[in-house]
This record gives sequence, structure tokens and C-alpha cells, in this order.
Amino acid sequence: MDLSDLIRQDAIIPSLKANSKKQVIQEMAERAGTLLGMPSRDIFDHLLQRERLGSTGIGQGVAIPHAKLAKIDSLFGMFARLDKPIDFDAIDDEPVDIVFLLLAPESAGADHLKALARIARLMREPGMAQKLRASRDAAAIYAVLSLASEPNAA
Amino acid sequence: MLDLPLLFILVSSTLLVLAVLTSLIAFRIGAPLLLLFLGIGLLVGEDGVGLTFDNAPVAYFLGSVALAVILFDSGFNTRFETASRAAWPSLTLATVGVLLTTALVGVVVHYLAGLSWRASLLLGAIVSSTDAAAVFFLLRVGGISIRERVRATLEVESGSNDPMAVFLTATFVDMIIAGPEVGAPVLAFLQAFALQIGLGAAAGVAGGWLIATTINRLRLEPGLYPVIVLGLALLMFALISLMGGSGFLTVYIAGMMTGNLGRQGMPLLRKFQDGLTWLAQIGMFLILGLLATPSEFGKIWVQGIVVALFLMFIARPLAVWLCLLPYRFTREETAFISWVGLRGAVSIMLAILPMMAAIPAGQAFFNVAFIVVLTSMVLQGWTIRPVARKLGLVVPPEIGPVEKVELELPGQATHELVAYHIVKDSPVVTGERIPRWARPSLVVRDGHSMKPHEAGAPRVDDFVYIFTPPRYIRLLDRLFASAVALDDSDQIYFGDFALDGEARIADVAHEYGIALRGDPGDTTLAEFLTEKLGGEPHRGDRMTFGLVELIVRDIGDEDDIKTVGLSLTPAHTERRRLPMFHNLDEIVSGTRERFARRRMWRIAAKEQKPTMPDQTDGPADSSPTQTTAASPVSAPPVSAPPAPGISAAKPPAKPKAAARKAAPSGSAKRKPPSSAGKSAKPPGVKGK
Repeated sequence: MDLSDLIRQDAIIPSLKANSKKQVIQEMAERAGTLLGMPSRDIFDHLLQRERLGSTGIGQGVAIPHAKLAKIDSLFGMFARLDKPIDFDAIDDEPVDIVFLLLAPESAGADHLKALARIARLMREPGMAQKLRASRDAAAIYAVLSLASEPNAA
Repeated sequence: MLDLPLLFILVSSTLLVLAVLTSLIAFRIGAPLLLLFLGIGLLVGEDGVGLTFDNAPVAYFLGSVALAVILFDSGFNTRFETASRAAWPSLTLATVGVLLTTALVGVVVHYLAGLSWRASLLLGAIVSSTDAAAVFFLLRVGGISIRERVRATLEVESGSNDPMAVFLTATFVDMIIAGPEVGAPVLAFLQAFALQIGLGAAAGVAGGWLIATTINRLRLEPGLYPVIVLGLALLMFALISLMGGSGFLTVYIAGMMTGNLGRQGMPLLRKFQDGLTWLAQIGMFLILGLLATPSEFGKIWVQGIVVALFLMFIARPLAVWLCLLPYRFTREETAFISWVGLRGAVSIMLAILPMMAAIPAGQAFFNVAFIVVLTSMVLQGWTIRPVARKLGLVVPPEIGPVEKVELELPGQATHELVAYHIVKDSPVVTGERIPRWARPSLVVRDGHSMKPHEAGAPRVDDFVYIFTPPRYIRLLDRLFASAVALDDSDQIYFGDFALDGEARIADVAHEYGIALRGDPGDTTLAEFLTEKLGGEPHRGDRMTFGLVELIVRDIGDEDDIKTVGLSLTPAHTERRRLPMFHNLDEIVSGTRERFARRRMWRIAAKEQKPTMPDQTDGPADSSPTQTTAASPVSAPPVSAPPAPGISAAKPPAKPKAAARKAAPSGSAKRKPPSSAGKSAKPPGVKGK
């Protein structure tokens, strides 16, 4: 599966320094705000609101924070690998070091859910997280994310 | 002469040992154990080694005692909560279901084999009940955890339908003996029925209370408790049967009362019952295997198998579906319940009755019943696990295996002493804080006993002794259990994300595009889902809302939903949607949708009318044929998919051919790519 339609290479942070879940979301919201040219506060608030319904940590060190925003007009993905794993209240209580963030327009509906499902599935793929952890820079991570489901992945 | 009893002991004990030892193999190859016992009986019998045993009355006597013991134990292990949860569906199955099955099989036998009505119905009654022994056994020993409600229904059904089948069989035997000139005395029949069930149930409640009180009050040598319980149970069985009540029903209910109300000596009693039930099962199946002589079956094989297949694929499913219509079971659950309609020893035992009564075709009945049971055990018994998996009814385990011993304390202590063996990866070892009520009183490490403060943090291979109120044991189990290895399919089972049960449904709905009817206000996700699930949520219950599916992940101590899984690919379940076994809700909403659709068409057709020349509005109303002329093209409002609605309704039962294009059922066929990729892995449970 190929996520290259969801994410650009400049939206990949190969090594993010953060000490808490909130800080991760804040840092990523800020970066997203810059890339999208919109107030990061808004993004941050929406993401945090979603986290209140239940953590988006899906287990095995992966989290997929997501939110719907009124002001963007297409799906926007961002990726970050954390310097050190942090507590994310994930399903399995394991600390998280791989974060894929997804922002969607209010009107995205089914597309939003489909994209989320794709990301979740990809992150659960055997060996995927290891590959992402082993990649050194943004270009390498981008290559992993966009070539992800070659047949030999299974 | 002295040698004869010894010889008897020699043979029976050899068989017993053989049966137990072969069970080891059975576990390996996953064969239904009971089938194995039956097989040993057959092997040793006339057709095999040549041991001749054809004393039907003795077989019936032993079988009855064994069944009484088994039913008592079934009741003993059924919690009141389980029973009440499944009471209505299982009682419907046990009464109406048995009658329906009897009637359906009877009709087929009457027309296919040309037997008289009474004889046909007799055969129907013989094979009408599911076997408590077989069902319990497969559900418990099979080691799969099925959704709570389904399991409870099956268990209570199989425990409570034997009395009905016994009663029906006896009645038909009596009617045949009385001869055709005596008309069917409906009134007497109903009276006898009322006596059987009424007396049986009442005596069961009273007797169960008596047993519980006896063991709670009486101070006895500990080893005597099981003996007195067994004695009282069999006493009641015999007494009530003699009085014309259903002794089987009595022991079942008495067992339930004892198991729930008893306090003294319960762990010992449970162990004793366990062993005794095994003995009863093995004995019963061995004897019935010995009694049968398959080489004499001859042509009846074919007929027997036809009856068996009809029973499994038509009669039972139809009866189950009709009985469960009002109870909001999902289609998969209904399908599973009909598949687990195992026939077992009870049917074979009942088939002895006509033989004993010297009814002309008695032997043939016995043979047919035997073939039916054999077929059912092979086909259904062997496939329960894969079928449950296929239908998505297997709930992934909540906690891993626990190694513990519960010790009984003298006196009516409100606390119990539990010993846990600390295993690798259990939460206590991996750093989970031990709550105050879970502090051990004693720690045994490397053979030395020490005080907890000396021992410090628990280590692997320690034994800890905890003094605790019984209600905490479930929580303790979680702390001391080894880690659960959830495999990929389990993760998919519980969805991609976990949501807090306390979250407002309005927020969740907004985030994931769930259409709500009306304003939910501050309703929480837990409340919303509980209501949608008919008030009784269980771990693993799931329901589709629009494009997502919500799954109950965790249940709190007060049966409230703690966390809810959110699956973004409900296609996972849609793939499994069966084309039959709709429940009443689904039928109603399906029909309603169909009517709505038809009305839409009529409106659409009517709107077209004015554009047509010389046609008045008047008669258009009464010309339904016009609707077909309107063709789907002119009916855009129809094609609006009903999916995002809240209702769990699926596409209507029988969509009109033209409407099918518009209905979303076509897209449901899509196979989710996820599970296609994952299935390369064996789906088996990891670990031991």
C-alpha cells in the first residue's frame, strides 16, 4: 500500500524531541500549521479534543492522532519519529515513538475514514514499525511509506 | 462363580482406563471426545472384539443415572446470572423448539419412510433434544470462549430440553402401545405435561434449597459433603420420577440451586462433581456404544443419514430461527446455535424406550437414532471450533492462563485463601503496582516461606498466598495472569482505535460520521451502545453504525462498558453476513424499507404522470403496475443508501430485483484487503 498520496516528504519529522503526549501533538500541530499556512492553535485544539475520546495510540509504539478541520481542503498527513518513546495512554500501555497524524476536511466523510484505515493497517503490517525505526532521514522514511506494501512485505 | 463379578470389574475398568488414555489423543487431533468413547464401545462390542451386551433395560437404567448426574452437574456449574440472562431464549428453545423439531422430523419420516404418524413423531421426539453432555463438553472443554449470551443460551437449552424430549418420547411410546383405536387424548396429554414440568421444576427448587441448606448447616466430615449431595440428588431424581414428575428437570434445577446457594465445601464438591461427571459421560457412551451393533444396521444406514442431515440442515435451523425470532440475536449467533444442536447420549437412551416397550420397529428406531447421533457428532462435533471462528463468535481471551489454587478455609469465612504461581510476563512482574487488597500474606520463594516485606517485589516462580474476599478473585486473576498473545485477527476483532466509554456519543458521531436520530445530548458512548445492544453488553459485542463499527472492548465490574473499539473497516463483518436467520427486528425494518421504497416509486411514477398526455391524476393511484413502468432510472430518491442511519438494519431480506442495484448490498461483497493479506498466518492462538 502506498501512502504517498497522503503525505509529502517535507511533512516527515525523522527525529522529534518531546517529553509528553501533549508536547508531541503541539510540535506536530505547529509544523502542520506552517506547512498548511493556518493557525496551529486550531489544529492542536482539534487533535486534543479527539484524544479526549480515547487515545489514538493503536499499540506497539504507534499512534495515529487525527482530526477534522473546517479550513483545509484536502487530506493532510504528517509523520514523526520520536527521539525517545513517550507515554501515550495507548491501548497496550506501551510508550509510543511512531506517530502518523492525519488532518481531514469536515466534508471528507468516507475518504477520511478510508485513509485512517489504510494508515492503521499499514502500521500494523509485520516489520513496518521496525523499518520506520531503522530509517535515518526523512527521505528514507518517505521511501518506506510510499513503497510500503510490496509483495515481499508479507 | 466368584469369577464373574471380578471379570466384570476387569472388563469395565479396562474400558475406563482405555477411554481416559485415548482422550489424550483426542485432544491432540481435536476429535470430539464423546465420539471417541462411543467408538471404543463399538470397537469392543459385538462388531469388534466381540463383547456381547444387549441388555437394553440395564443400559437404560445406567444411562438414566448417568444423565441425572450429568444434569445435576450442568446445573451446578450454571450461575444464576447466566441462567437468567438466557432464560427466555433457552426456555423457548427447550419447549417450542423441541416440539417443532419433533414435528418437522416426524413429517419427513412419515412421508419418506411411510411410517404411521405416531411412529414418525416418536422418532422425531427421540432425536429432538440437544445433548447436555455433548454441548457442555464441547463448549467448556473445547477451550473456546464464545460470546456470553450465545454460550449461556446453548448451555441452559441443552440442560433444560432433555425433560421435554423424555416426556414426548414416553408419551408417543404410550400412545403406540395403546393402539390406534385409542384416540390421542389431548387433555390427558396436557395434564401429564403439566405434572411432569410443574412437579419437576417445583421439586427442583425445593430440593435444591434443601441440599444447599443441608450442606451449609450440617457439620460433617469434609469428605462426606459430596456424598450426601449425590445421595440427595439421586433420591430426588428417583422420587420425583416415581411421582410422575420429570426427575431430570428436578436434578438440573436442584443442581443450579446447590451450585449457587451452597457455601460449605464448595471447592471439594466441584472437584468431586467434575470427576463424577467424567465417569458418567464415559460410562454412558461406552455402554451405548456396546449396545449398538452397526453390522446389523443394513439398509437403515441410508435412512438414518437422511434423517440426520435433514435434522442438522433443515429442522434444527428452522426451529431455532423461529424460536429466536423475538430475541434480537444476530444472524451469525442464530446460525451457530442451530449448528451446535448436537445429538448425543440422550437420544440413544431415549431410543431404548421403544425397544423396551417391545414396539415392533423398536430396534430400527434405535439404529436410526444411533446413526443420527453418530453423524451429528462427527459433522457438528468436529466443526464447532472452525464454525465459531468463521462466524466471528470467538471472543479473544481477556487474560492469559493463570496458575492458582483456591484453598478452602474452615468456618464460613467471608475470605478465601488463594495461591498464585507467579508466571513470566504477568502484570505483577512487569511492574504493575500491587493494590492494597492484593498484598500477599505469605510468599514462598525457592522453598522458603517469607513475609511479604521480606520478599519485596514478586519474582517469577514465587508462590504468593493472598487472603481475599471472593469478589476480588477476578481482579487478582488479571494481575497474576500471563500476558495474552493477541494475534492480528484479534486486533482486527477489536477495531483500530479504542474509545473511552465516557466519551459523549455526539462527539464520536461527529468525528466518524455516525448519523444520529434526534439530539443525543450528553449521552455517553457507553450508554448509547448499551441501549443499542438491548441493555446487556458483553465483551466482543459489535454493531455497525454508518461507515464504522463499534465493539465492546472492556466491561467494568458493574457490567458497564469501559472502552469501545472502533473499527474503520466494518467490511470485516459484512463479509460474514449470512443471507438467512434474520431476527424479528431485521425483518420488520427490512419490510418497512421495502414498503418505503415501493411508496417512493409510486410517488416517482405519479410525478411523471402530469407530463404524459391525457392521463388524469385520479386513476393513477390505483394502478400499481405503473410502478414497474417507472423503471429505476426515474427514481433517484430510492437509491439513497439507507446505510448511515443508526439502525443496525441490513439490506432488506428480499430486495426486488430492480431495487437491488440501488441497495448497498453490492458493495458489501467487497473483500477487505486487510484480512486477505493477514490470512497467510495461521489463525491459531499463540502460546499454549
